[in-house]
Amino acid sequence: MREHSLRRGSVLIGVAVLLLSGVVAVVLVLAPAPERDRVQDLAEGLRCPVCTSVSVAESPSDTAVAMRQVISDQVAAGRSDEEVVNYFRARYGDWTVIDPPASGSTLLLWALPIAAAVAGSVALLARSLPRAVSPSAELSDEERDRVEAAVERHRAMPGRREVDP
Amino acid sequence: MMTAAPAAGWTGLMLGLAGSVVLAVFGFLAQFRPAAVRRQQLVVGAGFMLGGSALAMGALQVALLTDNFAVAYVAENHARATSTLFSITTAWAALEGSLVLWVLVLSGFTAVVMRGVRDTGDRLGAGALGVLGAVGAFFFGLVVLAGNPFEILAEAPADGPGPNPILADHVLMAVHPPLLYLGYVGLTVPFAFAMSALLGRVPGVEWLHRTRRSNLVAWSFLTAGLVVGAWWSYEVLGWGGYWAWDPVENAALVPWLVATAFLHSAVVQVRRGMLQSWNFVLVLAAFALTILGTFLTRSAVVQSVHSFSQSDVGPPLLAFFVVVVVAGFVLIALRADHIASHGRPESPASREGMFLLNNLLLSLFAFIVLLGTLYPVVLEAITDEQVSVGRPFFDRMAVPIGFGLLLAMWAGPVTPYRHASVAVVWGRTRVPLLLAALAAVAVLLAGVRSVGIVAVVALATGIAATTVRQVLVTAPARTPAGVWRLVRGRRGYWGGQLAHLGVALFAVVVAVSSGLADRSTVRLDRGESVAFAGYTLTFDYVDEHELPDRLVTDAHITVRAGDEVVRTMAPRLNSFPGRPQAVGNPDVWSTPAQDVYVALGNLEPEQITLNLFRYPLMVWMWVAGGMVAAGGFWALSGPRRGARNPQPGTARTAEQVSGDA
Repeated sequence: MREHSLRRGSVLIGVAVLLLSGVVAVVLVLAPAPERDRVQDLAEGLRCPVCTSVSVAESPSDTAVAMRQVISDQVAAGRSDEEVVNYFRARYGDWTVIDPPASGSTLLLWALPIAAAVAGSVALLARSLPRAVSPSAELSDEERDRVEAAVERHRAMPGRREVDP
Repeated sequence: MMTAAPAAGWTGLMLGLAGSVVLAVFGFLAQFRPAAVRRQQLVVGAGFMLGGSALAMGALQVALLTDNFAVAYVAENHARATSTLFSITTAWAALEGSLVLWVLVLSGFTAVVMRGVRDTGDRLGAGALGVLGAVGAFFFGLVVLAGNPFEILAEAPADGPGPNPILADHVLMAVHPPLLYLGYVGLTVPFAFAMSALLGRVPGVEWLHRTRRSNLVAWSFLTAGLVVGAWWSYEVLGWGGYWAWDPVENAALVPWLVATAFLHSAVVQVRRGMLQSWNFVLVLAAFALTILGTFLTRSAVVQSVHSFSQSDVGPPLLAFFVVVVVAGFVLIALRADHIASHGRPESPASREGMFLLNNLLLSLFAFIVLLGTLYPVVLEAITDEQVSVGRPFFDRMAVPIGFGLLLAMWAGPVTPYRHASVAVVWGRTRVPLLLAALAAVAVLLAGVRSVGIVAVVALATGIAATTVRQVLVTAPARTPAGVWRLVRGRRGYWGGQLAHLGVALFAVVVAVSSGLADRSTVRLDRGESVAFAGYTLTFDYVDEHELPDRLVTDAHITVRAGDEVVRTMAPRLNSFPGRPQAVGNPDVWSTPAQDVYVALGNLEPEQITLNLFRYPLMVWMWVAGGMVAAGGFWALSGPRRGARNPQPGTARTAEQVSGDA
């Protein structure tokens, strides 16, 4: 009886979860795409030349403020993202782009993580998939007796312990 | 008298150097010929390390507090006007002093290990002391030869420039570096035991048992140090963020990630005898990465907000890093046949399988952060080409890995060992799954349409609900007392769960605070108002306060909700005599629901430029970080189990171990 109600509970929960996720997915898909703030996006991809490690979008420095203004002006003048980025690249060099392209000398930067992820997953699967059972895995009766005897001895040992992680 | 303090400090360093050499020699000797060494000889070595480094730190403090400008370090980093608190913290505000702190912490950890070595017959412990002595010898040598703070100036200046303004600005600066050093340096101890086990061919998991505490100590402090650092960056630097993927931040994050992976894989080895060689690799990597990180940040090869000082410690650090990595991996390769475990999970769907997934994700994360940090350095060295790798790259990589980790955190802790049936895991997660779906709907109803936020909130709800369910189901009684007994009983597991809850909350805050933030830059004339985040902000006036060591300029801003004044805020600018750079401090108004963050862009008496930010839920980030660190400390707080003297009565049956969750 309990088994039965457990299973019915599982079915109910499963259906409810599926329905709810469906609703969530539909709402999210139908939601209008948020308006892109191109100036902000572009500023986030450019390095503030007088700071360390922060983008033009994040830096409170005067230079960054001026650069944001330039970006804003250029966007207002109808320039494409690429044109704006190239404008800054021409002035400060490739160094100013903190979102390096997946090509040329920064191709490896993008390729290596993917390669590492693939290699790691393969290694993990190779490790954790059960190996084909070899015939020698079956113990003979004699071996089985020895194992049991050893287990008994171990059980009888005082001070046996497990350690918490 | 001007030379007494530096002379004492110098003596301390030399004593420490001598002590660490003694410890290294006798430690290694004891490992191979226990009878040839008396414990007392090891104690002397460790004692001289601790005493010497304490003397050096004490002397440095005395020199700073007594304005002893004959000492080079004091002359360069201190001023008479510096307050007492920041005089004390100046001891680690520049390179040489921070190396003294480093050897002090290392000597402290060595002394603790020494206490645990009861006699020289403890070959594992003796060998670990030898490794600690060798590492100590390197760092004492580094201080003495390349970064000595106690050099005496022929002509002492009358006053100094004071510490770097950024570092003398907030009380968090007193805690952030020591916490980080406790974590960073603490990772030496697991490394020492691992190398000792390899050197002395000590098989099994004894080295893991004996390093569990130190690894947890290091990890918890490193966590706390990272969180406090992020908090400090947010509260002080005024750029409105807390994490910039700056090389030095990355240099602390990578060892943390590796140490986190080790924390988990150590469980697999202790419980199921798997992953032994992998654990050696992780421990070696964590330690080597701390050295690499120190090298990166102290040798000017990378530009970083943390490059407060440079000197000639770079080459020795790089050499030491290479030696550690080469020696470590050679050792692992040579002894692999002794240590390699042949066990493998019986099924990928098991706790072991989840731990493996965790290790894959964390190692991958560490690798990517390291890659992004080193790529520009290496590329420039090879091709002279200058590129930058910044937030867009790291964020794009971190997001999928973060989701993977959240998923693993949800299912992993309730997946049984050996073989998990779908029915068991489903039974444990079905109600939380329903709650997660409801949470996602609730987020939608609140008007949020960001996929990321909905997903993170759902996952975090699932993790939290699953943990709560486990508490209720496995507690001896569903009363506060019963729950207390449960979480006190198995602190390793429940400490881990607390840390997981912290990470889940942290992920929610990261997603919400970045996804739903408002930012704005406004220029205000005196008396002018601007509407922001539902409030009206009015620029009232600017005034100046002269403090002993600085000139503070405040901009006073009144915050109104409707007509009611709810807050006055005063972002400020600190100028220090003798320093061209003025340091701004934002004013942050934190409430449980949101932070309003006001930073000065530009300041004139009649006109100011303000950078305004609104971050929802931001204050919970520090709570979440505190939970993660607290989880580590909770796991530590359990009764100490003497690794070498198994106590009867702590045995648990195999059924409990494999069936627990």
